[in-house]
Amino acid sequence: MASQREVRNRIASFKNIQKITRAMEAVSAARLRRAEQRVTALRPYASALRRMTRQAARDAGAVAARVPLLTVREPEESVGILLVTADRGLAGAFNSQIIRAGVQLGAEVEGNRQSPVWFATGRRGVSSLTFRGRQLAGAYTGFTDRPAYADARRIASDLVTAYLDGAVDRVEIIYNGYVSPLTQRVTRETLLPVAAATIRAEDEGDGSGESGAAARDTPRRRVFPEYEPDPDKILRVLLPAYVEISVYRALLESTASEHGARMTAMRNASENAGELIENLALEMNRARQAEITQEILEVVAGAGSLV
Amino acid sequence: MAHARFIAEVLTPEGEAFNEEVEMVSTRTTLGLIGILANHAPLLARLEPTELRLYRSENEIVRFAQGEGYVQVVDNHALLLVEELIDTSELDRSELERLREEAERVSASADADSESAAYARREIRRVEAFLSILDEK
Repeated sequence: MASQREVRNRIASFKNIQKITRAMEAVSAARLRRAEQRVTALRPYASALRRMTRQAARDAGAVAARVPLLTVREPEESVGILLVTADRGLAGAFNSQIIRAGVQLGAEVEGNRQSPVWFATGRRGVSSLTFRGRQLAGAYTGFTDRPAYADARRIASDLVTAYLDGAVDRVEIIYNGYVSPLTQRVTRETLLPVAAATIRAEDEGDGSGESGAAARDTPRRRVFPEYEPDPDKILRVLLPAYVEISVYRALLESTASEHGARMTAMRNASENAGELIENLALEMNRARQAEITQEILEVVAGAGSLV
Repeated sequence: MAHARFIAEVLTPEGEAFNEEVEMVSTRTTLGLIGILANHAPLLARLEPTELRLYRSENEIVRFAQGEGYVQVVDNHALLLVEELIDTSELDRSELERLREEAERVSASADADSESAAYARREIRRVEAFLSILDEK
């Protein structure tokens, strides 16, 4: 049986752990609120920009064929995979589920006799891919706590360059979509070519809650719009903006998810620590009681021998 | 004369800035100043930094300083996506002048073809557009 002192030490160390996990939970909760605000504020803008780009691409007709970011290449030889993870762990399955999905997609791609080209944001994803012996074409770290638009722009421009240079024929992005503080959904989207890009339900439906948005997509309004400047030029600006905003949005979703996941993980950890402390307190009481019983026995035995 | 009204929606990465019925939207595209009235033909254009005016009526005008963006008009609904939107009353001349000096320094020292120089040139254009809004006032 463990001595009282031993048990007391263990209780003290669990209490320290609990203090730390509680503090981390509070920090994550505060950051979550900010991250959540940013992502909900961005969603209507991002959806509208994506919708606008797709409409422009569709209406551009013959011009679209000359815009490389729009053309689907056949056959696809290599697939770029961008994994959006966090710089830090201690967030439950947050990072590992992204890496697992990424590796799975990589195997799928290889099964199709295509070669995967890896990109990753966040130290966790970068180190885990490197550990698995994957060569990274792009590694971006140090901002997952609070991504700036410039970070998204940097990543987007690398992806677009790789696509235009023919290093990749398609780009997939995998990130944790933010649903609620308790739920993150592993989301996979096709980013490039834009013609094949994943259409999110909320993009097509109206992200703004306006009656117009959904109706605006109906085919009877395929009037050729006026373009300023011409469609070719405007597509050349819109398309990179589309990629940027999509990456930015994925980064923000991931950040909100990360804080949510960490908050949940830390709350569980605090609860577990509390449970352990309770059990240990029980054990300590038992140990103390055992010691007392032992002493009484010794006293009684001692007294008995004197009689 | 009262004009027909239509919906103007202004979105920024920081959220929705405006979504109301207006008589006219006045802004600037790459080709120049444009006034959008109700029943405007479908349009897709790039926006340049300028003063964005949303006319609730002839005398009631909502004004913003607008960064780069895009405007789309479909079905009597104007959708403006702008990267940055500042209430004109919140423009700060000294801050803008400081930004202009900084951007000019970057643009002078950086390689003319580099990304940072291009960014600085855009920044100068933006700041100058905002300063001219202040001048007009």
